[in-house]
Amino acid sequence: MNFTNFDFDQLFSMSDDSNPLMMLVWILPIILFVFYGQQIQLFVTSREIKKGIKKLDGFRVESRTELINYVKNNLKAKEDPVKKIDKFLEYFTIMPVDMDPNGIVDKVRHTVRSREDYTRNHVKSLSPEMNDIELTQTQTLLEIASSLQMIYKIINHMFLTAKKQNNYPLILPLQMILPFIMEQAEAMKEAIPAIKSGQPLGDGIGPMIVGKMMLDCQKETIALETSLAKTEFENRHLHLLKAEGPGSTVGRPADGLEKIVTENKIDAIIMIDAALKMEGEDSATIAQGFGAAIGGIGTERFQIEAIATSKEIPIFSIVIKQSVKEAITLMTKEIADTTDDVSSQVHEMIRENTTEGQSLVIIGVGNTSGVPQ
Amino acid sequence: MIFSKKKITTEYTVEQCTKCGTLTKRKFKDGDTLFAEISKCNSCDGLTRIEKIFGETIDQ
Repeated sequence: MNFTNFDFDQLFSMSDDSNPLMMLVWILPIILFVFYGQQIQLFVTSREIKKGIKKLDGFRVESRTELINYVKNNLKAKEDPVKKIDKFLEYFTIMPVDMDPNGIVDKVRHTVRSREDYTRNHVKSLSPEMNDIELTQTQTLLEIASSLQMIYKIINHMFLTAKKQNNYPLILPLQMILPFIMEQAEAMKEAIPAIKSGQPLGDGIGPMIVGKMMLDCQKETIALETSLAKTEFENRHLHLLKAEGPGSTVGRPADGLEKIVTENKIDAIIMIDAALKMEGEDSATIAQGFGAAIGGIGTERFQIEAIATSKEIPIFSIVIKQSVKEAITLMTKEIADTTDDVSSQVHEMIRENTTEGQSLVIIGVGNTSGVPQ
Repeated sequence: MIFSKKKITTEYTVEQCTKCGTLTKRKFKDGDTLFAEISKCNSCDGLTRIEKIFGETIDQ
């Protein structure tokens, strides 16, 4: 038998437009996609999103369990902490109305700080024997668990709403943001072991460099969870500022700076911080620039900028680039290895921008988990 | 994902002698804190201080 001489035209009746079977083969999918295209896309996209939501649910449960175990095993809680922790996880913050933006920063700062103070006091009530380091670690773990809970709830809500309405366009924004959300959620989940064991995070590179400069100096607490040391470098007066380690906190550097500036004449401010790298950029690269290098909700940066503007103090910055994941998980070798290079750049910056006899403030910005001074 | 490799992070501590500057890398132990002076140097009679704590990730 010869299998090579097939006549495809004859087999599919391609040359014959009147073949009803062939007409059906072509027309049916067109009709199907015209009328049910969105539903098919919704079905395919839903499967992907469901997988993501299942993962988020796993992160949420895992972070809650880790927090409960940490409180039960490490802090000798006087009563069962589960009920209290579950109550904390449901806490929400209503941000001030911004229809009239006048004074919004003060309002946001007040709301955020009230929440912090409330959480600190209530976490403390879990165990009277808790020390300051354990307190900050529990607060950070609680923050992670409640953030993961909130992310899961919002994503699940968006997904279920789109499904309920059978509305494909509603699911599109969710499909677009989900990879970014998953990256952040995974990073948060992976931060838990480092925070529990008091290890330095990628974000702690700024405090690590300043903490090393503070080692043999007299330290004082200048603001809540914020440490200050004074030293000399080539006849310049240095005020070294960082969050009080080795607890897991970012301190209140703006309050510290305000106090320093009211008591001293400051000629320059140098800020060292971790910064998010762009896609394609190498991790642990160092960059210098101008302006306040500090993240967060924006209130600290606003306060620092206001102080610098009122006193006409220039702000110089050095940033160490890293990804979201690297910033909130255990510090990588590449980031840790930048310490000496950044220190020498700080010294160079001091020489270039100040003269002998002048004073400056050097701020190590970031979470100081596992980084003492 | 089916073909993605499992990543394992190992934590390390780097100690440096405050006198001779010798660096020693070892696995992280509970209680290790940056800048803590912990043991005697093997090369001289100086004290070693923890200079770095970091994680190295490898694909399995």
